[in-house]
Amino acid sequence: MGFNITSEIIEGVAKLTLSGSLDSSSASMMQTEIQKVATQAPIALVLYVSELEFMASAGLRMLIFAKQKLGTAVQIYIVQPQGQIVDTLQMTGIIHSVHIVDNYPA
Amino acid sequence: MDNAAKIFPASLDSLEPIRDHVSAKCEALGFNKKKTYGLCLAIDEIATNIINYGYPQAGIGLGIIELLMADEGKQLTVTLIDTAVAFNPLNHLVPNQEDMNKPLEDRPIGGLGILLAQQNVDEFRYERRGDQNCNVFVVNAAS
Repeated sequence: MGFNITSEIIEGVAKLTLSGSLDSSSASMMQTEIQKVATQAPIALVLYVSELEFMASAGLRMLIFAKQKLGTAVQIYIVQPQGQIVDTLQMTGIIHSVHIVDNYPA
Repeated sequence: MDNAAKIFPASLDSLEPIRDHVSAKCEALGFNKKKTYGLCLAIDEIATNIINYGYPQAGIGLGIIELLMADEGKQLTVTLIDTAVAFNPLNHLVPNQEDMNKPLEDRPIGGLGILLAQQNVDEFRYERRGDQNCNVFVVNAAS
């Protein structure tokens, strides 16, 4: 399955598209992309994850890292996460700090 | 599928093969997607700790993780065995409700994996057998 991530910034919004498995072996790829978009001081971070099939706590730590790196004012949107990933966000309470949406912009 | 022990190098590259191996067993037993995912996540978290912390702290360059599976009826028991430093995940602090209510930027990073390991299986226990850490995961298909 592996892991793939791409990033772009459109009108000040950082958009990351993730697919495959985000675990401890692949989290560094996400960290690299977050650091890359952080240099352009985005106003929001949008994660397109409809094809992300697995996310371990390493992925949760990347969400925390993103918030710390981009600043508390930058909102994080998670677009179309699969049910098990929503469960993980719920179990750890992280769901309260991000926006789960069907589309961005809504 | 037989229940023979399978050995994986204690490397991050083994995480996906470990999940695939467990997932195939769950599929053969007819577990639903949620149960299968939860078990794979729990095992992934503990295996990650063994790889990232257990063997490095033991000064062992590349250890191994042995994976045993046993099924009885609709219950599957998976045991991860390593010979890294003794580590009982159940003695490790996990985020409490107060931590979970904190803003993301103030959240403690540690303990999330162990929390997920505990919450995603029906039973999780740790046993020290000689120089081995044995992390045992039990899942009931019917629960």
